[in-house]
Amino acid sequence: MSAEASNPAATPTPCEDTQGDGRWMSQHVRFVSETKDREPDVIFVGDSLVQLMHQFGIWRQLFSPLHCLNFGIGGDATQHVLWRISNGELDNISPKVVVLWVGTNNHGHTAAQIAGGIMAIVQVIHNKLPHAHTLVLGLLPRGRMPNPLRERNAEVNKLVQDALSSLSHASFFNVDPGFVLSDGSISHQEMYDYLHLTAHGYQAVCEPLHAQIKSLLEKPAEN
Amino acid sequence: MSGDELNPAAVPQQVEDLHGDGRWMSQHVRFVQECKDGEPEVLFVGDSMVQLMQQYEIWGEMFSPLHALNFGLAGDTTCNVLWRLQNGELENIRPKVVVLWVGTNNHQHTAEQVAEGIVAIAQLLTNRLPKAKIVVLGLLPRGERPNPLREKNAAVNRLLSSRLPRLGQVLFLDVSKEFVHSDGTISSQDMFDYLHLTLAGYRTLAKPLSDLLLQILEETPEERRASLV
Repeated sequence: MSAEASNPAATPTPCEDTQGDGRWMSQHVRFVSETKDREPDVIFVGDSLVQLMHQFGIWRQLFSPLHCLNFGIGGDATQHVLWRISNGELDNISPKVVVLWVGTNNHGHTAAQIAGGIMAIVQVIHNKLPHAHTLVLGLLPRGRMPNPLRERNAEVNKLVQDALSSLSHASFFNVDPGFVLSDGSISHQEMYDYLHLTAHGYQAVCEPLHAQIKSLLEKPAEN
Repeated sequence: MSGDELNPAAVPQQVEDLHGDGRWMSQHVRFVQECKDGEPEVLFVGDSMVQLMQQYEIWGEMFSPLHALNFGLAGDTTCNVLWRLQNGELENIRPKVVVLWVGTNNHQHTAEQVAEGIVAIAQLLTNRLPKAKIVVLGLLPRGERPNPLREKNAAVNRLLSSRLPRLGQVLFLDVSKEFVHSDGTISSQDMFDYLHLTLAGYRTLAKPLSDLLLQILEETPEERRASLV
C-alpha cells in the first residue's frame, strides 16, 4: 500500500465548499452532534449509497431496530470519509459494528490508491474503536454496460478483500446480488441512474447485509 | 428568441462523460425510448429534484396514477435539459402537462441568466406542445442556514414569477417558504443534505402540485381532446 503522503485517497481532506451553501460541513457537524446524543450499536459511514439507504423504508424496517446511525454524505470519496472520522464522527460512541461503504467516487485515483484509502479508514476506525468490527462493503458495478469504472471497482474489491483477510477486526462483505445481467447490462429497475439504487435494489443489498450485521452483533465483543 | 446566444444558461449542452461510465447518455437514451413506448398525460423534466421523486412511494401514490413519465437527471442545468428536450425527449408524446423543475445546479450562471434559461425551456415546450400547460416549479432554498445560493434561487423565483405568466400556458408554483423555519434554518427532516428532499419534504411539495395537476387535467377531458388537436 502507498504511504499516506503519496496517496491522495488516503490523505484526510475535507470537502471544499465550491457551491457556496456549506452543505458538506453542515452534515458533518450534524453527525458529530449525533455522537453526543446517541448510543448506536452500528454506524454506517460512506457516500451517497449509504446516505440514500436512510431515505428508504428499508432503513426503518431493518436497521432502526438495531440502533444504527447513518453518516453517509453524497459525493464523498475515501479522503473525505477519512477526514470526517478523524474529526469527531467516531468520538463519544462505542458501536460494535462499523459499516464502511466508500470508494466509487474516487475519480482520478487508481484502484490501488482507492484500496489504500479504504484500508487507511479501516485503520483509523480500529484506532478509535478498538472493540468494533468493521464491515467493508464491496463497491458495486456501475454504468449501464461494461466500462472502465466497473473494472476499477472490481479491482478495488479484490485488493481490499486481500488486505482484510489478515485482519480480525475487519472483514469484506460483498453486497452485489448479481446486478450485472448475462448481457452485461444493469437494469434501471435496480439502479435508476446506473449508480444509485432503487428501493428494489436496496432490498437486494440490505437483506443479506442486515443478516451479517445481526450475526456480528450477536458475537461477544472483540478484544 | 433574441439574446439566447448571449445567455449561456439557454445554450443546449450535453453532459460530458468525465467519469467513464456514460451514465448521462444512458439515461437520456432510455428517456427517448420511453417516448416511443409511452403515452404520458404528464411529463416531469428536470434535475435530481425531479429524478429522486420517482424513487419514493409518493410517486406511485400521487403521480403514476396520472400517467406520468419522469425525465429527471441528477446534476442537470438548464443547458442540459434544453439539449435533452431538443434531442428526442419530446418525440411522439402529447402530454397535457409538463412539469419543469431545473436551475439549482446552474452554478456558473447569474440569477438573471438562470431565469432566462428556464423561460427559454418553457418557450420551447409551448412551441412543441401548443396544447399543453407548463408548470414551472420554483427553486427551493438550500443549505442549512442563509447563504448566497438561497438568495440566488429566490432571485430566480422572483424573476420567474413576473416573466412566466406572460407566456400564456405557463404556471408558476413556488413552495419555498414551506421549508425555511423562523430561525432561518432548513431541517434535515425535510432535506437530508440541505438540498435533496426526504419523503416528508416531497409530501410538502406534492400536495399543492398534485392538486394543480388534477385541476389542469380535469380542464381538458378526453372528449374535448379531439377538437383541440
